[in-house]
Amino acid sequence: MTSAQAIRLVMAREIRERSRSGAFIASVVIPLLFVAAVLFLPLIFADDDVHYRLGVVGEENRVIVDAALALANHGETDIETTIEVISYPSRTAAERGVDTEEVDGVLVDGGQLVVRGVGGEAGSDLEALLQRGARSVQIEGLVDSGQGEVVGILTSAPLAVRTLSGADPEENAERSVVAFGGLFLLYIAVLLYGSLILTGVTEEKTNRVVEVLLAAFQPWQLLAGKIIGIGLLGLAQFVGTVLIALVGVELTGAFDLPRFPLDSMAVLVLWFLLGYSLFAVVFGAAGALVSRAEDAQGVVAPISMVAVAGFFIAVQSVSNPTGTLSVVSTFIPPVAPFVVPVRFAFGAVPLWQFLVSVGMTVLTIVVMTRLAGRVYLGGLLQFGSKVGIREAFRSAEL
Amino acid sequence: MLELNRLSKRYGQVQALDECSFGVKRGRMLGFLGPNGAGKTTAMRSVFGLVRPDRGSVHWRGRPVGQADRLRFGYMPEQRGLYPKMRIGRQLAYLGRIHGMTSSEAGTAAGRWLEELGLSDRSGDQLEKLSHGNQQRVQLAAAIIHDPELLVLDEPFSGLDPFGVETMSEILRSRAAAGAAVVFSSHQLDMVENLCQEVAIIDRGRIVLAGEVRRLKTDSAYRVIELESKSPRPELLRRFDSVISVDFDGFRCRIVVRKGVDVGELVSRLELGGDVTHFTFSAPSLSELFREAVAR
Repeated sequence: MTSAQAIRLVMAREIRERSRSGAFIASVVIPLLFVAAVLFLPLIFADDDVHYRLGVVGEENRVIVDAALALANHGETDIETTIEVISYPSRTAAERGVDTEEVDGVLVDGGQLVVRGVGGEAGSDLEALLQRGARSVQIEGLVDSGQGEVVGILTSAPLAVRTLSGADPEENAERSVVAFGGLFLLYIAVLLYGSLILTGVTEEKTNRVVEVLLAAFQPWQLLAGKIIGIGLLGLAQFVGTVLIALVGVELTGAFDLPRFPLDSMAVLVLWFLLGYSLFAVVFGAAGALVSRAEDAQGVVAPISMVAVAGFFIAVQSVSNPTGTLSVVSTFIPPVAPFVVPVRFAFGAVPLWQFLVSVGMTVLTIVVMTRLAGRVYLGGLLQFGSKVGIREAFRSAEL
Repeated sequence: MLELNRLSKRYGQVQALDECSFGVKRGRMLGFLGPNGAGKTTAMRSVFGLVRPDRGSVHWRGRPVGQADRLRFGYMPEQRGLYPKMRIGRQLAYLGRIHGMTSSEAGTAAGRWLEELGLSDRSGDQLEKLSHGNQQRVQLAAAIIHDPELLVLDEPFSGLDPFGVETMSEILRSRAAAGAAVVFSSHQLDMVENLCQEVAIIDRGRIVLAGEVRRLKTDSAYRVIELESKSPRPELLRRFDSVISVDFDGFRCRIVVRKGVDVGELVSRLELGGDVTHFTFSAPSLSELFREAVAR
């Protein structure tokens, strides 16, 4: 039997047996219920009315707003559109209002529209609405005066649109969503699935099945199968929840999805795999040191502390991605998986630092896997009290 | 055949194995005996690579044992255990598969063994739902699901009731008859004497006695006489050179003598007359060989 076959067997058993357990099913269903509640409850209670705040400067704005509202609320519709009009004394004051999100846009002298950012958000709907209003005003003027032509009016945009520079903050916001989201997921995955691996290893030791397994498998094959199996289950559970959430968001339109930068996503996935593998291996070895679930807390605590430290260092990296702490922790493998994606999201990690960090982490995983295999074998065959790492290591001299 | 060649293993201050050597051929059953802590479990684990000896080697069919060989070995560790929440049919099939059986082979074998052990209607039950005795049956099936060529069992009879003992003996005999080499450790010396053609006795990591049971007995320097009569006079016996020890419980005399003793002369000198009710002359039992080999 090849190693791949051995690992696949262990993996398949983990997935099949775990996915049947009530605890796992609950861990799938509860987040789904939570997502559903967050998405659909507001729908039940919410009114669907649309409300904009529009700043105005100068003359001839009112008629366009009135026309836009008349068009929007024409006919049988459940949705009532309202526009709150706020007058500004000057164009500068109005643009500041746009910047500070006091208003969604500013209409200037009935001819120009100033909106914020890349126009991906509320501004675009408002823009379309006002353009239609302005067109209808022009057509009414045509009907009254007989001057101009309908086609020209309908095919042009009567309002000149100016976008305030705001693209960068917007993209930064998206990048920090990715960074924070990824950070949080890694943190949860490490603690949740890491402890699943630990209890899984301890269980096999507690119910003594491990000696039969080790008579046929190499310890590292058993450990790898377990880590991959539990990892895949966790991934499936996670991807399922996210997919349901995305579909739900699309269906309900609860909020606009930010567009995630692809490079940040790719880096996030890479570091997620590295981080999960590193912690999973350590948790697996730790699980071999204890014979009873009650003793597990003692070995979980130090590992969790490292993850917590990584999390907090990464949180401060969001505000200071080039600071000394961020740079130094890039080269500390157990912390790097948390910190590097954050720094990358803000373009604050030079390529050489990134590559060295990946290399060091991969190397650490390889070394830890070997050490863990040895601690695993040494620890698994000593029952009773907690086994010291050194003792486990020595007793399985390879 | 399985051969352990001069295995040595030290744990800190404890010499668990000290040049330990013995072997067992296919179709034979070997009882592996020794006091607690003598090194039996360490020796058995070294067959499966669970213990790496400091020196020495384990051979199967003349070559050092590798992972591929181990897939054709069956092992029942002293510390019993399977997955308590896994259904027994699936569990046995899984254990077959980890020994290289295909999915369908393993499924068939699991069904066959459950049938043989009278558990076929429990195949879908979790192990923990079974009675203690039935769990032990499953444990045995787990060790032999893949028809191993070598079967190593660490204290297979401990904790079994008489019916369990019978089932276990039956199956071990049939495995050996089918051509497997069988090694098991035990403290129940009478049972080993009944089942095994061969024994190896280990003490403080060293093999102190090994070989075919029958030969060990005939080669022994001692014989045992058991005697009952109406007027026993045990004090007379102590005068003979060839008598080593005499036990008298007020009813029966148990006399250990040197192998070359002239039994006729001995009996005539005892002046027993015609009132002997029981007389046996035999080679020592395995228990006696054991006690002699592991003298403390």
